[in-house]
Amino acid sequence: MNATTRRSVRWLAPAAAVVVALLLWQLVTAGGLFRADQFPTMFDTVQALGKAVATPAYWMSIGSTLQAWFLGMVIASALAITIGSALAFNDFAFRSAASVIEIFKAIPAIAILPLVILVLGSTLPMKVFLITFGVFWPLVIQVIYGVRSMDPIVLDTAKALGVGGLRRFVTITIPSASPYIATGLRIASASALILAVVSELVGGAAGIGRNILQAQNGGSSAYPVMYAYILTAGLLGIVLTGAFFLLERNVMHWHESQRNIRSNAEGALR
Amino acid sequence: MSQTILPEVVPERADGPSIGETTDLLVTPRGRSRGTVVRNVLIAVWLPIVLLAAWWFLSASSTSPFFPPLSRILEEWWNQWVIGDAKFQLSSSLRNLLLGYAGGALIGVVFGTLLWRFPPVRRVSNPIIYFLYVLPAPALLPAMIALFGIGELRQIALISFGAIWPTLLNTLDGMRGIDQVKFDTARAMKLSPVRILFSLVLPGAGPQIAAGLRASLQTSIILMVVTEMVAAKQGIGYFILQAQTVFAVTTMWTGILTLAIIGTVANYVFVLVERIVLRWYYRSRALGNS
Repeated sequence: MNATTRRSVRWLAPAAAVVVALLLWQLVTAGGLFRADQFPTMFDTVQALGKAVATPAYWMSIGSTLQAWFLGMVIASALAITIGSALAFNDFAFRSAASVIEIFKAIPAIAILPLVILVLGSTLPMKVFLITFGVFWPLVIQVIYGVRSMDPIVLDTAKALGVGGLRRFVTITIPSASPYIATGLRIASASALILAVVSELVGGAAGIGRNILQAQNGGSSAYPVMYAYILTAGLLGIVLTGAFFLLERNVMHWHESQRNIRSNAEGALR
Repeated sequence: MSQTILPEVVPERADGPSIGETTDLLVTPRGRSRGTVVRNVLIAVWLPIVLLAAWWFLSASSTSPFFPPLSRILEEWWNQWVIGDAKFQLSSSLRNLLLGYAGGALIGVVFGTLLWRFPPVRRVSNPIIYFLYVLPAPALLPAMIALFGIGELRQIALISFGAIWPTLLNTLDGMRGIDQVKFDTARAMKLSPVRILFSLVLPGAGPQIAAGLRASLQTSIILMVVTEMVAAKQGIGYFILQAQTVFAVTTMWTGILTLAIIGTVANYVFVLVERIVLRWYYRSRALGNS
């Protein structure tokens, strides 16, 4: 087998699997294993998705979910990077804050959702606050670990060369910690999407989650629409997680850890 | 060069420590003398105590409807959760959590092992598993209502579903990371496949399976609360949301407090069990570091 056929097989087999899975879905639902009020057929769902894609309401719901996701991610990562690196540089501060961070990380963010709804209403700030709260704690731990894993020789060299202050932070600290931060961001992105959907589902804010619930309330005739939005949520997950995965691989290609991963992958093929 | 189709799923671990390791901020190297131990404990607890005291005194004269005095919250917590009936909400929540998590974790480990054993299946099913992994599980809640009705079965089913993927992917990844030389050795020693599975594969992937199980536990707790907040009649999530609906803010705070305690305790129990089960791993790592 030459390289081209091998690559096309690599592409074809999973694509075929997706098609088979979709056909199986159709077969199982149309065959009567599930009733229409339990699980809609694949054709109906795809049709509903096609219809929904043409409406502005569909894109607006994706827009509101993405907007909350984006704002929450930006605020949480800005806070986590500044607070995390400040804590990492001082051993006393780090060990004092560690217990507080652990406690807050263990609180499921959803617990405070009813409180946040009460204070802020079913609004965008409510979603953004919930996402920021849920994503900040795991992220700040990644930042602390990243900064603390920095090679002390690199830091000493920077000091000896007289690189200090903000410049050292931007050119030395952040790049050294970046693999940890990138991993933290990828995990955070998935949690942020979950929290966005939950805040729409429970909190009634505009977005994909609310549309899923509305379709469910609309009775079994609206179930294809519900599954169309569920598929949309999954596709959104693929796009966001995939983007952070590529960021990790391509932006970090210079970093030692990524070089190791690549050489391991090559070694495994031998 | 490995050319992946979709980004091959990398679980909560890329470079450096896995999630199970990164999250243990509290685990500090053991102090040799008693003085060091006391100092370490003091450093760890002074800030939480100061923050609690600040909350107590700053909220003492609070008239805000949303942030009642901490003293009143604690008093109400005692009345609701120790004297009152609220603790019965806990039993249904914890039962769903336990059944759902155990089911999902078991499915995750078993199917993760099967996928590791059969690479063609893995390659073919990769996009589907990837889709199910990144699909935000709460989005499936209304669908679960349609499938299973509004009973507890749908709650357990959704918790299980969400718990499968982190465990499955970490199991798979951990097993793929085992050194090939070890398999050659096992073959040379003519170990049976069952023996290889239990004395080489599962222990070898153990630390990473544990990391996956921990991520699954966090997902399960979130899903437990979400399922109780939509179309449920009992459980701690229902309790909190119900209190919010009737604007009983102090009661709602007691629910939040209880949920925080559940999350923290679950986390610590997990770490404790992990430390015992993976004793050999932590010991060898400590040796390697010294």
